[in-house]
Amino acid sequence: MNFLSPWFLLGALAVTGPILFHLIRRAARERTTFSSLLFLRPTPPKAVRRSKLEHIWLLLLRCLCVLLLAVGFARPFFAHDISPPSAASQERRLILLVDTSASMRREGLWDKARATVDRYLDKAALSDQVAVLTFDQQPRTLISFADWSAWSQDQRALLARQRLAAVAPGWMGTQLGLALTGAAELFRENSVARREIVLITDLQEGAKLDGLQGYQWPAGTRVIVERLPAKQQSNAGLEILEPPAAIAGVEEDVHVRVANSSDSRKEKFRLGWKGSSERMEIYLTRGQTRTFTAPKPPAAMKSGALELSGGDLDYGNVSYYVAPEIQHVKICCDGLGATNDPAGMLYYLQRVFPATPRRQIEFAQQLEKQDAFAVIATNLAPQEIAVWRDWLAKGKTALLVLTGAESGPTLAGLLGLPEAQVTEAGGEYGLLGSIDFQHPIFAPFDDPRFSDFSQIHFWKHRHWEIPASVKARVLARFDDGSPALTQIPVLEGNLLVLASGWNPTDSQLAVSSKFPPLLETVLDWSGAGAPVRFQYRTGDAIPSPVLVGAAVRWQKPDGKEITLAAGAPFTETDTPGIYRSSAGERERMVAVNLPLDESRTAPISQDDLARLGVPLGLDDEQSAAIARVRQQHLQDAELENRQKLWRWLIVAALAVTFGEIVLSGWLARRVTTTEATL
Amino acid sequence: MPDVLPAKEAGFVDPKALMAIRNLELRARVVVEGFWSGLHRSPYHGFSVEFTEYRPYSQGEDTRYMDWRLYARSDRFYLKKFEDETNLRCYLLVDQSRSMSYCSLDYSKSDYARTFAATLAWFLNAQGDAVGLFSFDERVREYLPARHRHGHLRQLMLALEREPAGRATNLTEPLRRVAELARKRGLIVLISDLLAPVVELESHLARLTAAGHELVVFQVLDPNELAFNFPNAMLFQDVESEKDLYIDPEAARVSYQRRLQEHGEGVEAVCRKLGFAFHRVLTDRPLDLALLDFLRSRVRRGKLIRRRQQRVSK
Repeated sequence: MNFLSPWFLLGALAVTGPILFHLIRRAARERTTFSSLLFLRPTPPKAVRRSKLEHIWLLLLRCLCVLLLAVGFARPFFAHDISPPSAASQERRLILLVDTSASMRREGLWDKARATVDRYLDKAALSDQVAVLTFDQQPRTLISFADWSAWSQDQRALLARQRLAAVAPGWMGTQLGLALTGAAELFRENSVARREIVLITDLQEGAKLDGLQGYQWPAGTRVIVERLPAKQQSNAGLEILEPPAAIAGVEEDVHVRVANSSDSRKEKFRLGWKGSSERMEIYLTRGQTRTFTAPKPPAAMKSGALELSGGDLDYGNVSYYVAPEIQHVKICCDGLGATNDPAGMLYYLQRVFPATPRRQIEFAQQLEKQDAFAVIATNLAPQEIAVWRDWLAKGKTALLVLTGAESGPTLAGLLGLPEAQVTEAGGEYGLLGSIDFQHPIFAPFDDPRFSDFSQIHFWKHRHWEIPASVKARVLARFDDGSPALTQIPVLEGNLLVLASGWNPTDSQLAVSSKFPPLLETVLDWSGAGAPVRFQYRTGDAIPSPVLVGAAVRWQKPDGKEITLAAGAPFTETDTPGIYRSSAGERERMVAVNLPLDESRTAPISQDDLARLGVPLGLDDEQSAAIARVRQQHLQDAELENRQKLWRWLIVAALAVTFGEIVLSGWLARRVTTTEATL
Repeated sequence: MPDVLPAKEAGFVDPKALMAIRNLELRARVVVEGFWSGLHRSPYHGFSVEFTEYRPYSQGEDTRYMDWRLYARSDRFYLKKFEDETNLRCYLLVDQSRSMSYCSLDYSKSDYARTFAATLAWFLNAQGDAVGLFSFDERVREYLPARHRHGHLRQLMLALEREPAGRATNLTEPLRRVAELARKRGLIVLISDLLAPVVELESHLARLTAAGHELVVFQVLDPNELAFNFPNAMLFQDVESEKDLYIDPEAARVSYQRRLQEHGEGVEAVCRKLGFAFHRVLTDRPLDLALLDFLRSRVRRGKLIRRRQQRVSK
C-alpha cells in the first residue's frame, strides 16, 4: 500500500493522546467527600503503570479511530505495476558554449571547463548533434554541427577533444549575451525538438549580458549553466582612462579607474608605475569602482605600465599606458596667396586648421620632405614637378587646386602624363551634383543631416577630362557632370584634384559649414591627422594610422609583426601590451589593456540570467529524475483517485467512533450500577 | 447498661457502642450515669459543691448563710459562701454544618457532637443548671434559651436530634447572634470542628469575652482528619463548597497534617489569649473523658477565679 500524502501519517502520533489519557487518569469514579479542603493542595497528575490501564477495549477503539483517520488523510492506494511509457529517444542538438575570456585564465578554471566539455561529449548519444563554440567578446565556432556529422561516430569525441586542446583562454572580455544569442541563432536552421545550450563559464559579474533582454529564444531551447567554481580570491583591476583633450602645453594627469571585485577580501591596494619605486596607497571597498589620479609617470616616458598590487590574483593588475603625442604637421601651401588676404585661399586654410592639444600645424611655402600634406594652387615648373613626384612617391598626399586652364601642364606633370586638358567651365555657377559618400573623405557626411552640399555655389570651376590611362576615383561631380574632386593614385602617394578653389571669387566653399570638416577628413585620410585614441582594450580594432599609401607594419607586444594595407584596421589585439605601428616614416604606439570588467570576477547568480528571460534548464540526469518523480506522482494521484480508499477508512473511523460511544456509555452505566449496588 | 457495652478504656463507654443507641437522650444518660457511678475513683470529687469560702460575720449581714454547725463547734460566727449555682446559665453552641457530617467511623462528627452536647445538657440539668442551645451552620438554626424547668431537656434533645442541613461553617453570624441573645453572663460551650480561618475566630470570640461570658471550646475532629489515611489518589470533594481537588494522600499527607496542626495551634493560642479552655476531641474518644475534660476545665476556671478574687481583696 502506498500513500499519496504520507506526511499525514504523522497524525497517527496522535494515538499517544488516548494512551496518555488512559495512563494519566484521574479516576473520576474514585471520589470521596472530605470535611474541608482548607488544608489541602492539589497533587499533579501521576501516570499509573501500564498494568493499571483500564478499559483496554475502549483505549483500543480510540487508538484505532485516530489511526484510521490518519491513514485516511494520507490517502492510501494500492500501487499497480504500471510500467512507464518508454521515453522515445529524441534527436537533440547540443551546443557546448565554452567561455575563453580572460577571467577563465584563473587557476584551474580552464581544466574544469575542459573536463565539463569532456563529460558532455561522453554523455552525448549517437543521435545527438553537438557543436562546440568558444566565446569571449564574440562567439567562435570550434566544432560545427556539420563537422560533428561528418566525423565517424567513434571518432567524434576524440576529435572534439583534440580541437579543444588547441584552445586556451585569451585576454578578451566576456560578451555573454552575444554568445548566447549567437548560439541560439544556430538552432533556427532546423526544427529539432530538443535544443540545448550548455554554457560552461565562470559567470563572472563583469560579463556583458547585452542583447538577452527581450530576445526571442527559438522554441524548445534550454540553457544549462555549468558554472565553474573558482577559488575565491581577492581581485582588483585597473584601467587607464583615455586622457581628455586638454589645453595644449598643459601637462595632463593620468587617471586610472580601479575596480575591486565584490567578493574580494582586501580593501587596501598600492598603485605605481612599473620600474618606479613610488607607490600610492588606495582604499577601495568590496564591489566598488573608483577613479584615481595615478602617480606622475617618470619624466619623458613615452609608454609604460601602471601596476596595482595588493590583490591575491596576479591577473588584470597591469594597465599599459602610451603618452599622447603631439603631432607636428607641416603643410606646404604653394600658391595659396598671402596669409592675411581674404581673397586668397591660405587665409581660410589657416583658420580651418587651428592648433589643437594633439596637433600643431605649420604652413610653409616651400615643399620639404617631412611635409605631411600639401596644397598646390600654382603652376609648377617641370623641375618642381619632379620634386613633387618624388615627394608623392613617399606615400604622401597632395591636393591640387585647378585655378584655371593654365593648370593643365601641372596636372599632367604630376600625373606623369604628357598633357592634360583643363578648360574654364561656362555658365553662371556650378553646384555639386553627385558625391561618393562611400569614400572615406565623404563617409563622415553620409547622413541626411550632413549630406546636403547643394547650397554651395561654385562661381567658377574647371573642366578636365580624366584620361583613360589614369585610374582615378571621382569623389564629387558638378551638376554638369565634370569631376569636382578626384582621387588619383600617383606612384605610392595620392593626388586629390579639386576643380575649383575656395577663394571667394571661385566658390562659396570656404564660407560653407562643410569646409572645415571636409578638409579635416582630407587631412586625416592623407595620414597627416593626429590620432584620436591611445588606449584600447583587447579585442578592439585599432584604426589604421594612414588610410592611403604604403602598407602599415604592426608589431605586437610579443614581437610578432603583421603587415596590413593602409586603411585596414588592426584587429589582432588579443594580448595586453604596447602595440607599435609604422607607416612610412611615421611610427605610433597604442596601449591595449584587459577590459576592467574582466577583473570583476565575483560570480553572478543564475537568477540574473533567468530574469533576462534565458530559458534555464537542468541537465539531462536532473531533468530526467524530476520527470520520473513527476510522472510517478501523477500516476499515484490517478490510482488513488480511482480507488478512493480514504472514503472507506473514514466510514470505518465513524463506525469505530460509534462503537466507542456505545462501549463507553455501557461502561459508564455499569459503573453507576455497581456503585448504586454498593 | 454499661456492663453489656465493651469499653475501649477501662471504665469508659466505647463511643462506637454508645452511638449504636439511637436515642440521643438515652445516650446522654448512659454517659452521665456511668460517669457518676465511677466518681468514687475520680480524684476530682466535691466539684458539684459550689462552696467557695468562710467569712467572718459582720453585724447586719444576712444570717441565712450563717454556719451554725461551725458556731456550735467553735463558738464563732462564720458565713458560708456559695457560688450562684442555680443561676449558672450554660449555652451549648453545636455546629451543624456539613463539614460535621464527615465520618470515617460508623458515626459522624455531628453525631458525636450532638451526643456530647446532650450529655452536657443532661449533666448540667441534673445539677440544676439552666441549659440553652444554639445549633448553627452558617447561621443560627435552633435556639433554645437557657432554662431549668421540666420538659426543657426533652425539647433540647429533640432540637439536637435534627440532622445537619447547613452548608458552610461560618462562626461570624452565630457568635454575633449568641452575643445578642445570651444577655446574662453564663457559660458557653462551643462544639465545632472549627474548620475555618483562625483570624475571624479570634474577633468573634473576643466579643463573647467582652460580654462577660465564659467559654469552653471543643474541637471535634474525626480521627481520619488527623491521620489522613486514604488508600489511593482520588478526587476529594469539599462537602461544603463541593469543590473538587485531585489529591494523592501519600504526597499530600505531611503538608496537610502540618497545616492542620498549625491551625489547631492557632485556635488554641487564641483561646489561651482570651482565657478560654480549648479541647480537641476525636470522635473515637469516650464521651466520659470528654465530659471529664469539661469538668476539669471548670475546676481550673474556678481556681483561677478564686485566685483572682483573692488578689483583688488583698
